[in-house]
This record gives sequence, structure tokens and C-alpha cells, in this order.
Amino acid sequence: MNRASLHFLLAALVAIALPLFMRSGTLASEVLIFAMAAAACNLLLGYTGLLSFGQGIFFGLGSYAAGLTLLHTSVPLALALVLSAITGAVVATGVGWLSIRRQGVYFVMLTLAFSQFFYFLAYTFKDITGGDNGLLNIPRPAIGPFSLGESWTYYAFVAVLFLLLFAALQRVASSTFGRTLLAVRDNEERARAIGFPVRNFKITAFAISGAVTGLAGALHALLIGVAPLSNIDYHMSESILIMTIIGGTGNLFASVLGAGFYVIVSDLLSSIWPRWLLLLGGLLIVVALFMQKGLWGLLERLVEALPMGRKSSINSSIEPPIQPESEGRGI
Amino acid sequence: MLNRRDLLKLSSVAVGSLLLPTGLRPAFAAGGDITIGAPLPMSGPFAANGKFGSMGTAMLVEEVGKVLDRKLSYLEIDTEGKPATAVRKVQEAMERGVTLFSGGILSSEALAMGKEVAKGKGVFITTAGADEITGSECNKSTFRWSVPTFGAIEQTVRPLIEQLPNAKRWYTITPQYVFGDGLLNAAKAIFKEKGIEHVGNSYHSLTEKEFSGYLTNAMAAKPDALLILNFGSQSSDTLRQAVSFGMKNRMTILLAWASGLEQFEALGPELMEGVYFGAQYWHGIDSPFNRELVAKVQTKHKMNPNYAFASAYLTTKILIDAAAKAGSADGPAVTQAMEGMKYAGLTGDEEIRAADHQVIKNYYLLKGKAKSAMKDKDDYADIISFGKSFQSPEQAQCKMA
Repeated sequence: MNRASLHFLLAALVAIALPLFMRSGTLASEVLIFAMAAAACNLLLGYTGLLSFGQGIFFGLGSYAAGLTLLHTSVPLALALVLSAITGAVVATGVGWLSIRRQGVYFVMLTLAFSQFFYFLAYTFKDITGGDNGLLNIPRPAIGPFSLGESWTYYAFVAVLFLLLFAALQRVASSTFGRTLLAVRDNEERARAIGFPVRNFKITAFAISGAVTGLAGALHALLIGVAPLSNIDYHMSESILIMTIIGGTGNLFASVLGAGFYVIVSDLLSSIWPRWLLLLGGLLIVVALFMQKGLWGLLERLVEALPMGRKSSINSSIEPPIQPESEGRGI
Repeated sequence: MLNRRDLLKLSSVAVGSLLLPTGLRPAFAAGGDITIGAPLPMSGPFAANGKFGSMGTAMLVEEVGKVLDRKLSYLEIDTEGKPATAVRKVQEAMERGVTLFSGGILSSEALAMGKEVAKGKGVFITTAGADEITGSECNKSTFRWSVPTFGAIEQTVRPLIEQLPNAKRWYTITPQYVFGDGLLNAAKAIFKEKGIEHVGNSYHSLTEKEFSGYLTNAMAAKPDALLILNFGSQSSDTLRQAVSFGMKNRMTILLAWASGLEQFEALGPELMEGVYFGAQYWHGIDSPFNRELVAKVQTKHKMNPNYAFASAYLTTKILIDAAAKAGSADGPAVTQAMEGMKYAGLTGDEEIRAADHQVIKNYYLLKGKAKSAMKDKDDYADIISFGKSFQSPEQAQCKMA
């Protein structure tokens, strides 16, 4: 079984296993929605090397786009979701186009600035977005003959979309475009010198990431019936980044692990101890210090430790950094 | 810190919640219990309010014990101060059979949760500030105990104008969102009616922490009174900075929407002396029910009840009394029992208006005391006046579905 098939199989297993092991369809749906957002973030962070604090913008705008479309028009749900994805892609293209003019810390600061900018836009135009109160009364219409009112039915709908998007992202990641993103991540100058239009590749990665995150935002608004201001807050970007990093940036399935872990553990800890964020902070420190490949890396080590794992290590399933073919040859 | 008990809870819940298949897990609220959901911000920036709210609900549930021959229990739901989390957790609680909810301190959370509870035909009573809860976004399932912005201004600005006939020039500092505009519009209407000159207003954002620029503008306008219309830590910061600028000695300061004891403890008597505050609740209210509550809380918790504690205690009591009156814990029956309900409340006689589910209760104008005049450590303020002022449901734009 090749790497992509294994990861898709694992993603499908997660989607099938959640209803068996979780009592809440709402929580299970949230896991998959954030898994989409984290996978989209991973396309930027893990594959392109771009640490973007703008993911919350696309998530929030996706929520608003779906909410406003469903509240004020009678278009079918599928079209509302497509519009949310397009909104995410268009805004991400703009944010990416401007942000990638700078690198490193200045790039991060630009995405943070955009995050604040869009937050205050949403806050200021309260007649459109509901401002601090959020956009309320977002309906969850049926899709064809299927009502999505019941939480597990909605989960099934989200799960189908999740698997389709996961497969699509995998295809992107394994395409020439995806391989080139890895080249850009590992040595941007060399990729540029070879002749790749690095700038266009980065903007395209932003657009794809924005589209998927926008769709995730739309599904989230439908899940809770509200598009709250917090969906476009920079804390949302932060949460999506944390999920991505906890999971590991080596491959897309790692983001699913990260999102699942973050959503479920947050839910669990918050019901036990009001200062649960301290524990989460501690976990992040551990990940940063000792688990730089995230949960996926940990899983990999565990499999390697097994007798059968030594023979067929899942190491091969991790996206390796692209090494220059010959260090001495130059480009 | 995480203690042994928490750790044990963590382990057991972790195993119970995650590892067991759905069918094997004990159903929540099984065995005929009536469970009161308490969706409150137990973590995040408003965790302190959530903690006292939870204590209030817990105390009442423990005190009552049983209703309709069924054991009472309560479910603390940490909303984390996020509307999305709040709605998701309320959905989960409703899926597990909880229909009665008391909580929702933050407006954005309360509005969203109210909608969710209405979908599931439950009942939700809140103390949140947004007027829309019993105004344009009112619904059959949501009730609100706190006085709206209109009443808060009517019961603070109006009596203060009457007490200070020479204060003819007022300046306002307002958070720029729906809540702030609600307070500002009500104040402007009174200024116009009373011939008061509104010499200026400074709008600030919801995330503002530095108010010196706005206060400098206020001082330049030379007002007789400064009306602070933000709330929580922002109002405390505004007041602290105003006092450090010496404004307390130059003009009267009114903070129209104070959160009461918890805020006063943070401010301290030096800052508060001579400053006026508007409050939904004060432990010094002279009503039979409040006196009884204060005595009980002092005995049990060795403290005076603050707003979050007292309001959660009362709103939980309203739900339980309504269930007893209805003879059922079903949402529609409890809703019907609550509509028009009259009871002896914390602020005296209170009534739930059927048309918009707004509780008709008193709002208080307090004045900060000098430290030397305080009779005990919590005696920060005197009640100057109080009363009930409410718009009609039509004026509040409530169209009950």
C-alpha cells in the first residue's frame, strides 16, 4: 500500500471510529471540521514552510459567507458551501499576495496584521456580521432529500466532505505542484533559480488553503447555527496552528490527529479543571522540545518499537524533506 | 492547582468518555434526575464570574435536593467564554436529556445558547447584558433576569441628574458595539429631556485597555459629570485612569453598569469613594429573600454573595419553582409556568413579563464609601436609590414566535 492510500485509509478509519467511540455527534463533527482546517494549514506550514496567522480570517469569512447566503437567499446548501470556499480562496489569494512579499518574521507579522484587520472589519460592520453578538439564526437546510437536523446525520455529511477534501488535498500534495511546494519549503532560492514561479506557487497554496478553511468555517457555522465573532479572531488562527503543530507537519493525516487530539482533550480537560489551558500550554512546550514531529512522530516511534514495526517502519510514510541531489554541485 | 480529586476525576472521565462505546456508557441524567445545566465561562477571561455562578447554582440545587419527587442535580458546562463552544456543549447536554439551563454571563454566548435551547424546546434563563435577548432576538425558551440598558440608565442617570441639579454638562465614554450604543442612546434621551448638554462622547473598541486619550478629551470638554458606559475590566481600567488623572475631584463620575462586589473588591475604597455605580444586585439590598441568602452564604461559604453568585442562585430557583408549579420538567410546561410568574426575589417583588420573558426587577444606584466609613470589609457602597424602568415589549422590538 502506498503512502497516500495508507493515510486516506487512516482518515477514513477516524471518520468511521468517531461515532463508535464518542457520545456527541456535535463534538465528532467539530473534530472533522477542524481536521479540515488543520490539514489546510498544514499545506502552508508543512508543505510550503509558511507560518500563517491568517487561517482564522478564512475560517471566519467562510462562516459569515455561509450564514449570510443561507439567511438572505434561498440557494441550496451545496451552493452556499461552494460560495464559502470561493470566499476563502479569494481572500486568501489577496492576503497571500501581499504577505509573501516578506519572509520570516515579517511574513508572520503581516498575517497577524491581516488577522486583526479582518477581525475589526467584522466587528465594525455589525449590521452585516452581527458584530460582537455574532450572526444568529443560521439555518441548516436539507441536502436533497436528506435532513441534516440530527447531529449524527450532520456528522455523516461532514464526514463525507472531510474524506473528499482530504483526498483532494492529498492529490494536491502529491502532484508536481505539491512536490514543488516542498522544494520551495526546503530551499526557496534554489527552486526559484531552477525556474519555478515560487511566488505564484505560494499564492496558489494560500488560495487552496483558504478555500478548504473557508469551507470548514461554513460547516462550523452550520453546526452551531451561529457565526460568532470569535470565528474570525486571531485566537482561531492560533488554535488551528496549534492543532497542526501538535499533530505534526510531516503529512496531512498528522493534522487530523492534531485536530482530534486538541478538540477532544480540550473538551475533556475543560470539564475537569478550569485551568486546563495550563495543561495545554505544558503540552505545547513538550511538543516543541521533545516531539517536533508531533503526535505522528510519536506514533511512528511507537510502531518502530514494535517487532513487526522494525521490519515495515511507517517511517516511509512521512514526507521527507527534499534534499539537494548533490550538495557540491549547486544549482 | 490540579489536586488529587481532580486527577481522579480526569482519569475516570477520560476512560469513561473516550474508551467506552456509546452504548456502554451510563446515560446522563438517568434514573429520573432533573438536571439543571449551568453553562458558564469556567475558563478563559471571565472564569471568575463563572466560578461564582456555578457556586450559586450548586448551592441552590443542594439546598432543594428534590423536586417533583425526583432528585435534582446540576451539570456545570464550561463555555470557555466562546459562543461556539457554548452552543456545542449545550447541544450535547440537550442530547443527554438536559432541558433546563441557567447561565450565560456573556452576551454573545447567551444569545447563541438561547437560540439552541429554543430549537430543543428547553428553557434558558440568563443574566447576560445584551438587550436583544428579550428584544429583537427574543424567543419562547429564553428568559432574562438582568435589567436592560434602558432601565440601567433610567435608574442611574436620571436620579443623579435630580440629585445634582448643577451638573449640566456630561461627557460619555462608550464601547463601540450594540451594548454600549444601547446605554448611550438611553442616556442621550434623558439628556435631551432634561436639557443637559452632552459635551462629548469617546467611542472605544471592545479590546481597548488604555483610556488616557479618551480621558484627556473628556477633561478638555470640562464636563460636570463623566458617564462611563463600558463594563468589566474596561470600566475598572477607565475609572482607575480617571482617578489617577484627578478627575474625581473635578467632576462627578458615574459608572452605569458595574458588576458589584467582585469589581469593588478589585477597585478598593480609595478609588471608589464618592464615585457612583449602577448595579443589578448588591448584597446590602434590604429584601427578605436577599437577607436570607446573604445569611446562608455567609454561613456556608464565609463570604457575601456577589452578583454572579446571587443571580445564578435565583435564576436556578426560578427554574425549579416553575418546574414544581408546572408539575413537569418539560421545557414548554416550565416556560408556561414561568410566563407571568411573580415571586419574592433578591431585589424585592419580581415578575417575569410574559410578552418578552424579561424579569421586571429593581436596578440600583450606589455610591462608593470612604474606607473609614465601611462597617465591614465588603461595605464598599451605599444604596442611593433604586427602581424599575422598562421599555414595553414592543419598544424593545420583541416579536415572540
